[in-house]
Amino acid sequence: MTRVRLENVTKIYGRVIAVDNVTFEVESGELFTLLGPSGCGKTTTLRIIAGFEVPEHGRVYFDENDVTYLKPYHRNTAMVFQNYALWPHMTVYDNVAYGLRIRKKVLKLTEEDIKKRVREVLELVKLEGLEDRYPLQLSGGQQQRVALARALVVQPSVLLLDEPLSNLDAKLRIEMREEIKRIQKKLGITTIYVTHDQIEAMSISDRIAVMNKGKLLQYGSPREIYFRPRKLFVADFIGRSNIYVGEVTGVEDKYATVYIEELDSHIKGVMVSDEVKSRKKVSVVIRPETVKLVEKSIGKMENLFKGKIDLAMFMGEKIETRVKIANSSMIIYIPNYMVVSPGEEIVFHIPPENTIVIPEITMED
Amino acid sequence: MPRRTGFRHVSLKDLYIAGLVTALIYYLLAPYIEWTTEILIWVLGIVWAFLLFKSGLDYRRILFSFSMSFLAIIGFIYTFFILVLQIRGIPRALALFLLPLLTVAVLGYFKQNIIPTIKIKRLYKIHVPLKRRIKTTLYKLDPIMWFFLIGGSLVLIVFLITPVLLMLLNAFVVPPYVKDIFYNFERIFRPGSRYVRLTPPPGSSLYRFLPLKGGEKLLVITGVNYGILLNSMINAVVVTSVATVLGIIVAFILARYDFPGRTLFRILAMIPLFVTPFVNAYVIRILFGPYGPISAITDALFGWRIEIKSLAGVALAQIMAFYPIVYLNAYSSFINIDPSMEEQAENLGSKGLKLFLTVTLPLALPGIVAGSILVFIFSLEDLGAPIVFQEPNLMSYQIYSGFTTEYGIVSPELAALGFVMLFLAAMGFLAIRSYVGMRSYAMISRGGRWVIRERRLGPLGLAIVYLVLLPLILFTAMPQIGVILLAFNIIPPTGFSLQWDKATPQYFVRLFSDPAVFRYIRNTLMYATIAVVLATTVAIMIAYSVSRTKMKVITPTLDTLATIPLAIPGLVIALGYYYFFLALPNVFKPIPVIGEPLYKLLFPLSPVSGPNTFQAWIILIIAYSIRKLPFVTRSVYAGFQQVHHALEEAALNLGASRSRVIFGVVMPLIFTYILSGAIVGFIYISTEVSTSITIGGLRDDQAPMTFYMMSQYKGGTATGVQVAAAMGVLLILIQLIAILIIVLVFKQRYAFIGV
Ligand SMILES: Nc1ncnc2c1ncn2[C@@H]1O[C@H](COP(=O)(O)OP(=O)(O)OP(=O)(O)O)[C@@H](O)[C@H]1O
Ligand SMILES: [Mg+2]
Repeated sequence: MTRVRLENVTKIYGRVIAVDNVTFEVESGELFTLLGPSGCGKTTTLRIIAGFEVPEHGRVYFDENDVTYLKPYHRNTAMVFQNYALWPHMTVYDNVAYGLRIRKKVLKLTEEDIKKRVREVLELVKLEGLEDRYPLQLSGGQQQRVALARALVVQPSVLLLDEPLSNLDAKLRIEMREEIKRIQKKLGITTIYVTHDQIEAMSISDRIAVMNKGKLLQYGSPREIYFRPRKLFVADFIGRSNIYVGEVTGVEDKYATVYIEELDSHIKGVMVSDEVKSRKKVSVVIRPETVKLVEKSIGKMENLFKGKIDLAMFMGEKIETRVKIANSSMIIYIPNYMVVSPGEEIVFHIPPENTIVIPEITMED
Repeated sequence: MPRRTGFRHVSLKDLYIAGLVTALIYYLLAPYIEWTTEILIWVLGIVWAFLLFKSGLDYRRILFSFSMSFLAIIGFIYTFFILVLQIRGIPRALALFLLPLLTVAVLGYFKQNIIPTIKIKRLYKIHVPLKRRIKTTLYKLDPIMWFFLIGGSLVLIVFLITPVLLMLLNAFVVPPYVKDIFYNFERIFRPGSRYVRLTPPPGSSLYRFLPLKGGEKLLVITGVNYGILLNSMINAVVVTSVATVLGIIVAFILARYDFPGRTLFRILAMIPLFVTPFVNAYVIRILFGPYGPISAITDALFGWRIEIKSLAGVALAQIMAFYPIVYLNAYSSFINIDPSMEEQAENLGSKGLKLFLTVTLPLALPGIVAGSILVFIFSLEDLGAPIVFQEPNLMSYQIYSGFTTEYGIVSPELAALGFVMLFLAAMGFLAIRSYVGMRSYAMISRGGRWVIRERRLGPLGLAIVYLVLLPLILFTAMPQIGVILLAFNIIPPTGFSLQWDKATPQYFVRLFSDPAVFRYIRNTLMYATIAVVLATTVAIMIAYSVSRTKMKVITPTLDTLATIPLAIPGLVIALGYYYFFLALPNVFKPIPVIGEPLYKLLFPLSPVSGPNTFQAWIILIIAYSIRKLPFVTRSVYAGFQQVHHALEEAALNLGASRSRVIFGVVMPLIFTYILSGAIVGFIYISTEVSTSITIGGLRDDQAPMTFYMMSQYKGGTATGVQVAAAMGVLLILIQLIAILIIVLVFKQRYAFIGV
């Protein structure tokens, strides 16, 4: 299996810096996700790894080999394109067999071998029996699986998936992402997965890299990214968050206490870095689902908040509630069995270990 | 947003006032002032416009308006020629009227495009080492891409640029006693020369009445001779304008109104597109002759007969032949307009002519002018009508006759004339191309319902359609129908009558039985086939490189070069090839060892190598494939664009080499595009006239059909005309079969022409 490493990679298109000084390493056998909003440079990064683009700066390594200038057809990566890029004039079988036919001489394959391997891989993606169809005769989900099969059959050293699920309906998307995860783990291929859907990223990845405007902001396990965002953008982009700006009033181990003027209260949270200490203004991120309702009669306690319900929306698995506190408001989730109505007063506790203090006050930093 | 100033809001109206005042000053003072004083008036116009611009005139009203920017482009060309030809009086006042508008357009363009680019360059100073940049560029080029890129460029450089440049060079060859290298041009542009005659010869008029034998009167319409250069320009402008208006009207009715028989109308309206060189013009001459059917009508109605001759005849024939080009372009523009754009306008209360003029026409304009500019170029270079109407006072005729008078020697003055013609055509073409290119985004629809807006016609509308439109369409189809009738001897070659009883296939029999005649048919088919294969190969190389590489300068240049033959009049190519192949053998001569054999090998290509040695056919084939290359390239290019680049990348990604991708994945996908491109090319090549009768004329046993058709006219025998007509029918048949193959077999719309 192959390790993929990007070092200070920058790609410029005319006036746009599509990828800006990106460095990361993908362990062998890992499922690594590039996550970010539209236009942030995910596809471009993937295309650089596949060899369709050459970066203006920086290098790309597969294991220890510098592949920056290696032609795409010598890299042994296999890509699943966003639009699948199935050849409309070839049958499913021919599409899938294409890569093997190219390698026929090198791998000393006979037509029989090819047939066998195509059948195996079609079985893996559950497409047996559709060999003779043309791509246009297939549903979106089937097409996507053909594209996956076409990539897998050549046993690539790196599998590249560019938003492979974006054209599917919600249900199929969930099904297919489980399928991809299953297959990837079974074959143990180093995989780089691109998506702008955070749930998809969380559920499928070993590690996630969050990108914005060409820059790689943070990478780590889904938990790390979710619970310990180091950048305001990451906190905002992943999950729901309430973000407040305040001043640090005290520091204690890994915790900082921050005074937030608009809420007119102090709040304690985990510092993501020591940089917090040296900053005058910092941001505090509160996840709506970490908040816990408590009895009104509870005594004094840190991170305790009181407010009036402004708006309550029943969302099925939870109730999304906007609570008015001082001059501002906060979104919190409360359990779906409760009955709340606007104007009601509630008291809740925000656990400090789930509250994050970030040494930034704008997303631009 | 218009910027507001301390004074008042400036608008386009101020520009018109500025123009009007400047023009008036000039017009009133013109008789008293010299050129040196006149400069002051020009400066006034420019400064005035500059001040308006500075005080916040919204230049975007010009740059982004479909019609205003078009006006600006035409205005530039107009003003340029007014100055170069030193035309005075009202035309010059008009140029001065346009001056402020043009000034603002230039300033606006500068502000819009140049300054931001400079600023951005300064802002983003990302330094990429040169070595890395080169490496990045090279990375994108596989051996086969290299081959395509270099091969395609080389073909164009050797067989397009070099010959044209040689012609340009020869335009500056002057007699030894002359010092001035612009001598040839001065001879052309000097007012009062036979090229520019601002005051036509006394007594000449557009039309006059002549008495006929038997007391009848004859109205002869000739057109006025303003000198060769001006004639050509006026003719081209008139033909283009009339053809455009006619094309728009016919297209709009056929695209937007539903009435019984519409499909038939559409088909009939395309008939004039069948090229039948010379014969169609000849039929028009008969139709508008003193004893033709038109005369019969006017005689019955007004008591006089009519004859359309000379320049007027040329214009008439060209309008009838070329207006369908505009029609087709306009038609597809009209049906491609997003209906919601018009619905929105209606929703806001616009209707009828206002809706048409403010929304529909501006949106369709880019497509329409793409057709108009071709009419302009075709009209400039057309030889068929001038030869048939025996009108020597046109640039095309001059170049042609200069070719054929003294065998093998072409005078530098002719090269200068070719230069002027090229300049006119290429400038118009490039201007329109950038105008159209800038606006192609306009047609992108953002989804939604797409039902072409169609109306049923009321009784009045129906009456107009059947009483005006139908006769018009039928009438413009007359030349082609006439060619068939002539070929079967139903119309006699002189006079006019329909003699059904005398119908005979004898002229067709002659086509195939007379070996001398048959040779021309064989030549045409052979040349066209070879040329098409060459052109398709080159087209694939160029189209692929252009659609798949994104190199600065090189890619856009190659793209332009591949389409520019559209803008190069065939006679210019003929002149260029004349000089090119004259020089070619001598270029190799000084090389040691291989020089002498190469010289011997290439000598037969030299036009002066002697009537029996000269190998015209090779030159003809090359000329055909280069001249008609854009038609093939367009189709192939459209094919490559259909193939999403991901389809190729998917194959590269799986380890396929570039050549394997091209031939294994892409080609099979766009096969039909390539074939239909080739077939379109075949049509154009087999009906080519300009090089066929010039280069071909130097070796008549190797000449193609069109040459024979021409020589039959010049020979002037009555039966010759009919044999030529029979050939015309054969050409129609070739074109018809080709079109049917494209439409029925490849299921593609036969997109005729466009920029
Ligand atoms: N070929 C190109 N030429 C010019 N600019 C490009 C090109 N490809 C991408 N860009 C620009 O680079 C930036 C990053 O594009 P990229 O396709 O990598 O985004 P993405 O993260 O994949 O977005 P999406 O989620 O919408 O697919 C964008 O601003 C885009 O406009
Ligand atoms: Mg993308």
